Amino acid sequence: MNYALSEAVISLRDINKTYPGVVPLHVLKDVSLDIHKGELVSIMGASGSGKSTLLNILGILDNYDSGSYHLDGVLIKDLSENRAAELRNRMIGFVFQSFNLINYKNALENVALPLFYQGVSRKKRNALAMEQLERMGLADRAHHLPGELSGGQKQRVAIARALVTNPSLILADEPTGALDSKTSKEVMQVFRDLNDTGMTIVIVTHDPTVGAATDRIIRIVDGRIDSSD
Amino acid sequence: MKTSFFDIENWREIGSTLARNKTRTFLTAFGIFWGTAMLAMLFGGAQGFEGVMRRNFAGFSTNLGAAFENRRTVPYKGFNKGSGWNMTTRDIELIRQLAPAIEYSTEGDQRSGTAAYGTKTKSVGITGVESDYFKILVPVLHEGRFLNDADVASERKVAVMGKDIATSLFGNDSPIGKYVSVDGIYFLVVGVASQLSDATINRRIDECVVIPASTMRRAYNLGNTVGLFLYTAPAGHSPSDNEPIIRRIFSSAHSISPDDKNAIEFLDISEQFEMIDNLFFGISLLALFVGFGSLLAGVIGVGNIMWIVVKERTQEFGIRRAIGAKPLDITIQVLSESIMLTLVAGTLGVCFGAMVLGIADKLTYDPLLGHAGFELTFRGAITIVALFFILGSLAGTIPAIRAMRIKPIEALNDK
Repeated sequence: MNYALSEAVISLRDINKTYPGVVPLHVLKDVSLDIHKGELVSIMGASGSGKSTLLNILGILDNYDSGSYHLDGVLIKDLSENRAAELRNRMIGFVFQSFNLINYKNALENVALPLFYQGVSRKKRNALAMEQLERMGLADRAHHLPGELSGGQKQRVAIARALVTNPSLILADEPTGALDSKTSKEVMQVFRDLNDTGMTIVIVTHDPTVGAATDRIIRIVDGRIDSSD
Repeated sequence: MKTSFFDIENWREIGSTLARNKTRTFLTAFGIFWGTAMLAMLFGGAQGFEGVMRRNFAGFSTNLGAAFENRRTVPYKGFNKGSGWNMTTRDIELIRQLAPAIEYSTEGDQRSGTAAYGTKTKSVGITGVESDYFKILVPVLHEGRFLNDADVASERKVAVMGKDIATSLFGNDSPIGKYVSVDGIYFLVVGVASQLSDATINRRIDECVVIPASTMRRAYNLGNTVGLFLYTAPAGHSPSDNEPIIRRIFSSAHSISPDDKNAIEFLDISEQFEMIDNLFFGISLLALFVGFGSLLAGVIGVGNIMWIVVKERTQEFGIRRAIGAKPLDITIQVLSESIMLTLVAGTLGVCFGAMVLGIADKLTYDPLLGHAGFELTFRGAITIVALFFILGSLAGTIPAIRAMRIKPIEALNDK
């Protein structure tokens, strides 16, 4: 696929981010980046390189100081908390290293939660959530609490939750970091399968095997894009 | 996106959140329960206590004044110190014409005597009064009627008999229409009465035969002398408002020095009742103060627990924010929990308080005097629950605002 000709889901131009303090920390320096629709991309870098800050900005969880960020054509800049929440809900699916499932809700309720914040009726959101759990092969675990699921199952529930709103983008932060190698491979296969359906996926990782399983690796060193291959 | 307050999921979630920390929820709920129950019980209890205490004065006018004679303590116009004087019917007429604040009034006299019916006799008090007497010291009429103006004007030999005397002389039979001998003079019994409370002037009506004052004067050769003048002041006036004019009338008619304060005795019961009113007001204030203290403790408990809930669930709120919850959604979630806890426990507390008051009211019920007033009105109950609802919501607001201000990125990193 010629991504250069396809629409950019993520378009960053000269993004800078500095954390204030006694000694201000310039974390991202003139970062420019395009990620196109249908790409499976990994962002790799050493600890402290700025990759998590970049992910937070991409996920509208954090602001940037200068530059511009367009997500699916929408300028993400100086958004109100409500608008940011709405865009996160509709456009981005998050997958976290520690799963971040709500432990007193069962798998179905966890997956349905983003739809709850869209005001979708209970019946409809449960149906949509079940669809995603079936897609992840977890229909029989729908009524199990996270504590009753294995690491791989939890991560697949988290992926189902990320997919349930049919977002433009999946952002995964070290999605295999808490998993053994066999389960990691299974989870990466899930990402690959999703990507095959046209889903745009960005994975932040420091694991080379995860990076190797993606179409493109964006390396970030000391707050700058070092290479993109 | 619409807010989630009315979504059943929100309320199911509140239920499950509260159920997950059963002990904590129970203790917090108990604080609220006890706060509302205490407020209800103290509020209704103070009313009931006042009701029970006021029963001791039932039927006794609280704005009662009395004037009666005493010996002169200042020599005046040829009368020595220590000399006596007699109040007369003429004085009473003048007082009624000139005194500014008299609602009901009666002259009164009392002496001891013997009542007899058939072979049965009984020592009694003989009380001579006018018809207003029964409006000033309101007794319970068991049968017949009280004395009226015509009885007094015509000097009729009619009597209202005290209940104890009626029972002694007539047993279970009705004395109405029968003639009873009082110190050898026959009186037609027109009524049987008893006193509501222990508060009285002289003997209880239960132990007296009450006859017209005019008849008494004639029967006992009292001339135009009067033993006592009883009156009530109308609303907005004090019995003492009449004191200057009464003093002037007595001083002028009986050569009493204007400086002789002791020769004319005055009684103003309203001053005592004012003190009692103040005491009850103080008790009510104390009850409210203690009740509000309990309520405040419960509310602070809610605020405290919601604060802990927010701290404990910071990461969860971060997850929710990351997947699309708006700040208001988080606020509503926290507030809903505090409101739910407050409403359920508060309502139960008020119900419990009302139940305890109901039992107290039943236990203190008197067939003659009725209910003491241990009760919580529906409006009072709603007010307490509403008050707790508002204060509980306010207590939950601060933690809810804190929850709303949590940045998703900070919350996600919270351990």
